[in-house]
Order: sequence, then structure tokens, then C-alpha cells
Amino acid sequence: MSIAVLLILAIAAFLAGIGGSYLGIGGGVFLIPFMTLVLSVNIKVAIATSLIGVIATSSGAASVYVRDHLTNLRLAMFLEVATTLGGIAGALVGLRVPELFLYFAFGVMVLYAAAAMARVRETARQRAYQAGAEPRLTERLKLSSVYFDQEDQGVYRYRVERPVAGFGVSAAAGLFSGLLGVGGGFIKVPAMNILMRVPMKAAVATSNFMIGVTAAASAFIYYPQGLVDPGLAAMVIIGVFSGTNLGTRLLEHSKASNVRFAFAVFLAAMGLAMLLSRLPGVSI
Amino acid sequence: MIAARGGLRLVQRRVAALRRAVVAEVEDMNRLIYHILRGGVVVSVAVLVFGFVLVAMTGRPIPERSIPPRSLGDQLYHFTPEGYLSLGVLILIFTPVVRVLLSLLSFVKEGDRMYVLMTLIVFANLITSLFLLA
Repeated sequence: MSIAVLLILAIAAFLAGIGGSYLGIGGGVFLIPFMTLVLSVNIKVAIATSLIGVIATSSGAASVYVRDHLTNLRLAMFLEVATTLGGIAGALVGLRVPELFLYFAFGVMVLYAAAAMARVRETARQRAYQAGAEPRLTERLKLSSVYFDQEDQGVYRYRVERPVAGFGVSAAAGLFSGLLGVGGGFIKVPAMNILMRVPMKAAVATSNFMIGVTAAASAFIYYPQGLVDPGLAAMVIIGVFSGTNLGTRLLEHSKASNVRFAFAVFLAAMGLAMLLSRLPGVSI
Repeated sequence: MIAARGGLRLVQRRVAALRRAVVAEVEDMNRLIYHILRGGVVVSVAVLVFGFVLVAMTGRPIPERSIPPRSLGDQLYHFTPEGYLSLGVLILIFTPVVRVLLSLLSFVKEGDRMYVLMTLIVFANLITSLFLLA
């Protein structure tokens, strides 16, 4: 790899770090297409390198969110049981499936995430604590929590609904994560936000916290295969870490719903590009 | 004399305040997790930058394959860029594992058996993936 390519990658990783920490995802959705389509990196090397980037995003961003009490540590640990199991299964399958399948699975997943993001809109009513009894598992595991929102200086109490369904979806997110080298965050964030009714910012922070462990479980499987390119990985780590320092500040002070829509459009474009690039007769 | 004693008292008070702050910081699990995660990335980035400095000094091409953990010690001893770039990457990969261990300790301290069990499962999964194909 030439120095120029590495510097371009560092800049891309910086942007992925901002986006990843802002949206609770690993940033693999940007990095994998960028590496394969623009820098023509082998997709399995791109996946392995992206997993490293996901861990960097998670550690860089989650540290800030944990400090500022946005992260639900109990909910994270509960769902991590599912994601690590899924992550191992995914990485094992990922080393044995043809690349064409990876491209299509990735494209479809990104399009799904785009649709989910465009649809979500958080209202004050949605955020308010709902009356009535908590689900039994939520009560037993003490999953419900509070978070502090810097945007309006409010402390919000919330309860966690449908813990079992959330657990199942997290296992699927972990599977995708190991399979495709993404954090699985854009499955976890909608799962927590829509399914479990966790407020958006708390969902983003908790997802960011979890993806590091999920990605580490997969990275342990990819690393001994010699698929991690240390030069690329180093650039990704340095770029992503710088990006998260900006992205976390953005999230804590802004309305997430505004940027979500533009981001959904971008994700849709990425997903289409990935799908189209592998169709016969199309060259991007 | 009085000024000196006043100064000493001021220093003592500052030290006491500092110690309280440190204790409070360690007791607050969130702060501790913050420092572990942050520290892991910062150390990793520092080692990676050192790796690139070695690349510039030795004039060798930037390595394209990670080296197996087995030969890492040897590479580090000979100050090869491959060794230090791989070490930086490995430090980063292990940061979440340390964080999980820390969570385990905090749940043990709280006496929360359900969460101790869950954290142990997560930790076992991480260890499984570590040795699965290594």
C-alpha cells in the first residue's frame, strides 16, 4: 500500500469515526465499501480491518458515553451474552462462504438499516416513562434506567420493554457482525429504540458500548488467519479514534433525528452500490 | 512562620481533596471503565505511531500481513515495524476483554449473581473465540 492510499484511508476512517459514534454503529458500513470499492482491498481483509475499526470506534466513543451516564451498563451486559454468541457463529460461517454472498448480504442489510433509520422519529411522548407494570424479566434484571440529556438538560427515566425479543435480535446482530465485519450497531440501535423502547441517545450509547465486545469476539477469529493488514488497521484506528472525539460531542448536544434522515439516504446509496457492483455487466 | 504554616495547611488540604477525588474516581465504575477504554485506545495509537516511526527509520515497506502472536515477542525484541504495528492492533483488540473483566469485578462487588453469571458467559465466549482457530 502506498502512503497516499493509507492517508486517504485515515481520512475515511476519521469520517467513519464521527458517523459511527454519532449513530451508535461501528463505522464498518462506511469502511468496508470504501476499502473494497475505492481502494480495491480484498473483501475478507477489508472485513478483518473493519472489525478493528469497530473496536476503536466502540472504545473511543463508549468511554465518553459511559462517563457521561448515557450508557445502560446492565442492558449492555444482558445483550452482550447474545451478541458474542452470534459473533462467534458469524465469523465461523464468514470464513467459509463465497464472496458474492457476502456482497449481497451486506447490501441487503444496509438497505434494511436505511429504511429503519428513515422511519424512526423520537417524540417527547415516546420518551416519557410509560405507566403500568414492567415486564418480569426487565424487573428481575433491573434493566430500566435513567439518562441525562445534555441537549435539554433533562434527566429521563425509561423502562426496557420486550427484553426477550431484544435478546433474540441482538443474537442476529452479532451473527451479521461476525459475518460481515460491521458492528451490528444499526441492527442493535433500532432493536433497542423501536422494540425495547429505549430512548435514542441511550440506545446509541449502549450500542456503541456493546459493539466493541462483539467485534473483539470476531476479531479473535480473523486475526490468526493473517487477514488483518497492520498498516491498514493502524490507519483505521488512528483515524477512527480522532473521529469519535468529535462524534461523541455532536451526539450529546444535538437532535439525533435530524441527521438520521440524511444518514439513511447515504446508507441506501452505499447498499445499492454494493449490490450493483456485483451484478454482471455493471461496473462502478 | 504563620505564612509558612498557612501554606502547609493549604497544601495538606489540596492533597486531601486530591485523594478524595482519586478515591471517588476509582469507586465510580463508570469513571474506571472510561479510563480503561480510553487508555486502551490511547496506548494502542501510541504503539502504532511508534511502528510507523520504525517504518520511516528502517525504510522497509509497510507490512501487509499481521504476524502470528507466537512470533510477536521475537519481532518486538528486534524492533521491526511488523511487530509494533501488530502489537498496537492486539492491544486494541484486548481492550474490550479487559473491560468485561472489570464489569465482572464490579458485579461481584455488588453481589449481583445474575449479572456475574451473564458476565462470565460473555467472558467465556470471548475466550472461546480466542482459542477457536488460534
